[in-house]
Amino acid sequence: MNLRTLIILTTLSIMIAPAGAAQSAREIVDRVDQLLRGRSSRGAFRMEIVTEHWDRTLEMRAWSLGTEYSLIRILAPNRDAGTATLKAGNDIWNYLPRVDRTIKLPPSLMGGAWMGSHFTNDDLVKESRIIDDYDIEIGFEGDRDGTEVWEFVLTPKPEAAVIWGRIVEQVRKDDLMPEWARYYDEDGELARSVTFSDFRVMGGRLVPAVMTMQPADKPEESTTIRYTDLEFDVDVDENFFSLRRLRSAQ
Amino acid sequence: MTASALAFGYFAVVVMVGLFEGMIADMINNGTGLVMGQIQVHSPDYLSDRSIYATMGEAEGDVAALISEIEEDPAIIAAAPRVFGGGLASSGTSTFPAILLGIDPEREPLVSRIANVSSGRLPRAGAYEVVAGAELMRRLNVSLGSELVLVAPAADGSLGNDLFTIVGQFNSGIPEIDGSYVLMAIDDLQVMLALAPGRIHEVVAHIDDPWDAPPTAARLEESLREVSISVSVEPWTSLRPELVDYAKLAAGSQWILIVIVFSMAVFGVANTMIMATFERRHEFALLLALGAAPSGIVRSVVAEAVSLGLVSLAGAVAVTVPTLIWLHYSPLDLTSIFGGFSMVGTFVNPVFRAEYPWGTMLGSAVALFMTALVSALYPAIRAANVSPATTLADR
Amino acid sequence: MTTRLTLLLRLALRNVRRQARRSMLTAAAMVIGLALLMFSRSLGEGAHEDWIDAGVRLGSGHVTIQDPEFQAHNTLEHRVPAVELARAWEALNDTTVSRHVVSTAPRLAVLGLANSPAAAIPATIIGVDPDLEREFSMLADKLTEGRYLESGDRLHAYVGSRLAERLKLRIGSRLVLTAQDAEGEIAGQLVRVAGIFRTGIPAADEGLVHIPLSTAQEWLGTEGALTTLAVLLESSREVETVVTSLRDRLSNLPNVAVLGWRQAMPELDGAVRIDDYGDLVFHGILLAIVALAIVNTVLMSVLNRVREFGVVRALGLTKLETGSIVFLEGLVLTVASGVLGMVIGISFTLLFFRNGLDFSFMFDSEFTAAGVVINPVIVPQFTPSLIVKSVAFVVLIGILSSFYPALRAAKIDIAESMKFEA
Repeated sequence: MNLRTLIILTTLSIMIAPAGAAQSAREIVDRVDQLLRGRSSRGAFRMEIVTEHWDRTLEMRAWSLGTEYSLIRILAPNRDAGTATLKAGNDIWNYLPRVDRTIKLPPSLMGGAWMGSHFTNDDLVKESRIIDDYDIEIGFEGDRDGTEVWEFVLTPKPEAAVIWGRIVEQVRKDDLMPEWARYYDEDGELARSVTFSDFRVMGGRLVPAVMTMQPADKPEESTTIRYTDLEFDVDVDENFFSLRRLRSAQ
Repeated sequence: MTASALAFGYFAVVVMVGLFEGMIADMINNGTGLVMGQIQVHSPDYLSDRSIYATMGEAEGDVAALISEIEEDPAIIAAAPRVFGGGLASSGTSTFPAILLGIDPEREPLVSRIANVSSGRLPRAGAYEVVAGAELMRRLNVSLGSELVLVAPAADGSLGNDLFTIVGQFNSGIPEIDGSYVLMAIDDLQVMLALAPGRIHEVVAHIDDPWDAPPTAARLEESLREVSISVSVEPWTSLRPELVDYAKLAAGSQWILIVIVFSMAVFGVANTMIMATFERRHEFALLLALGAAPSGIVRSVVAEAVSLGLVSLAGAVAVTVPTLIWLHYSPLDLTSIFGGFSMVGTFVNPVFRAEYPWGTMLGSAVALFMTALVSALYPAIRAANVSPATTLADR
Repeated sequence: MTTRLTLLLRLALRNVRRQARRSMLTAAAMVIGLALLMFSRSLGEGAHEDWIDAGVRLGSGHVTIQDPEFQAHNTLEHRVPAVELARAWEALNDTTVSRHVVSTAPRLAVLGLANSPAAAIPATIIGVDPDLEREFSMLADKLTEGRYLESGDRLHAYVGSRLAERLKLRIGSRLVLTAQDAEGEIAGQLVRVAGIFRTGIPAADEGLVHIPLSTAQEWLGTEGALTTLAVLLESSREVETVVTSLRDRLSNLPNVAVLGWRQAMPELDGAVRIDDYGDLVFHGILLAIVALAIVNTVLMSVLNRVREFGVVRALGLTKLETGSIVFLEGLVLTVASGVLGMVIGISFTLLFFRNGLDFSFMFDSEFTAAGVVINPVIVPQFTPSLIVKSVAFVVLIGILSSFYPALRAAKIDIAESMKFEA
């Protein structure tokens, strides 16, 4: 699950076809995936990070345009306020207000954690489409805990450049809302899982307002994102995602 | 003539062993002295993954107490605290990964050479000053006086970052170190990493003889446990076992060379003594013919050999010791010819500095002395036991 | 004049023969000294050649063909295009060069990230020709698990043991490589672990990945381009010749630089040089001892034959001629015994250590020096230059150590010497 995906995740809902329409698993996943892209968005969210050594909550504001561009600025706490991350194409820049400097992330650090969360910088950069990389099957279809759901099993195509051995995703049938996604390595061992909750209408669309990422090897740790505000198809273009914008207080 | 063979043999063996020992000692000093130090003290969890959280100490005075506790040990000359952080160093448009090392500017020079700045000075606490490696500065295209942005994930989850001024540069010759280390006052790094002033990652201790590190480390760990400080103490030999291997290999191959030179020296001495005594067999024959006892002749040869040996060894020592002292204090510096290079991750300067090989000095003195004696004795005994008539007729 | 010289030579030879015991002792010093010298020199040369060989195999060869900027920047931007590579291959196939070449390895190297569900680690990823590289780098010999790449492999990777550990990789595991491609875009490539190696060199074990060249070229979109052509020669002594001749042929190509290993791997160069110097010091001392022993015996023989020389002088030989006898005596003795010593040293070394001297008893594990794993078995090497130098040394010692005694013999006062009666 990409950070970008998370940020603009709620675009999910705009495409939602009436429930019950006959759709193949591939079509459903692709539509969900497609709708996470190619649109602009603006939102505000809280990121709650729980680690073995510390807990903290960051308040952020984010803009995105398709998969190529995104800008995220930290509003609180004070120690980090004003810190911003810009992703434009393959590059990631950080702005540090304390020293009033912009830093371009060296490629060798793309694998590092982003802002101390359980997302990596690499999560920000990836752009490939799910259906290009995975074969999709329905693993389960029917009633689960009182809800009609599909469980999709995503298996990487033989030569797809993805690290996961398998992704399992549960989607509610009635409103096509994802409930959770689990990422496995090739030995079938769970590596991380993302759960979605608090489905509500934001920016005129139904979205999961809360998502939680949990690394499997540290069950007591997690990163949770809660949207407080979200708008779609906002008026931003490529020029918006500039280094000047990265540095500005807005 | 015989004396000079003896003296030169002695000189050659001792000076060579001295130079070899100097080379090995230099290598260990280079390997341990640059950053690692000879003994390291950590929290027991630290070395496995160098987590920023695996610190020693909690309250303000803990570091000072730990240092003085460590310096209690009679073998330890000095100890210095350190804090590590992994982050980015950035200037202008270039950014590179960096290892941030917080040091005590007073103490660090006593335990390692990383704080030996090649230009500029050491950072002061609270002034946001840093010393950076030459290679990193070259890559970042900065010089003394330049500003440097440092970024590192802090212990509270925030992104520690600050603007520093480069006040010094070090140039160890090892690209891995010169290209990654940034030094600053320990207090500044603790602030940036949101670590309390009492929390440090490492104490490095320096001792006189690096080979004493393992027993000293064991003793230190024990004595710290007695005052209920639970830490793990590692000597350089377990931190860098390949350095031990290399020192052993170097010592081993040098040992072969020493044996060769030594046997040549013994042979040279024996050769001259045998010859000198043989040449005198007419003299012995005459003495025998004049009624001297064979044992008397042997005794006089022994007496001569002993006095010759003593005199020439005394002369040899008189030449060798000053040479060693000279080579110790003003070593042969071949840097201009070879340049420096690194080996086993250790920077080696082509500088030949001699150590004092006391054991070899004594051992080879005795051995060469005995050689001289035996090789004089053998022909003397032969000559003394042959009828004078035969020998004289040989003319 | 010639007859005079022959006479002197005959006198000298006769003296050598007559004083058999003394001659034997002097000769013995020389024989042993030279034998030891030959033994240790050949081992030294063998160790060097081993060292260089191991270094250049894992590194960029005895001779490296790459873009002039590649060494400094190490990016794909500085690659050698296919057109220029074709010229380089052509030059390598020319008989003047190819007779020295053992193997040539084409490589496309890029700095990237190796990703698995466990972590993402910076790595040097090298696209190689499996068959050529197997012969070349000997990385295939460091295999601990699985196998090396084979021709026909596509999505296979050969990775270092530390990298495998940190990424939790096993044989057959997925591994995603990401790097900036020829266009500057970040591109991903899936490979599967075919084999795991351990060299003992941290940089290689932690961050080196071999993949098939064709896969790398497709992934990075470089078409026929390479970053490096690494050339392995029969011996490091041929580097100069090959570099010069390749430079002549390739000088007009803008993206091609021909480097010898000393330039391409300055660390290895430094290490080898200093080792050479250590050898020089040691052999200097050894030769000085040998020389001293010879001066000693020759001089002693002069002092003991004062009367004899007095007689010779009285019979009409000049000072120069008397000196010459002694000089020739020493020279004949040293040269003869020196050559004998060399022969003994060489045959001894070849007889017992043809297959190398195993130094592994000195240290337990493999270890590295200047980024090269040292092989504990050292095979002695004899080079023509070693033999020529040694002969020169022998003659030099002969001259030096006979000169002083000859001077002493020449200075003998006839009248004084006659008084001597030993």
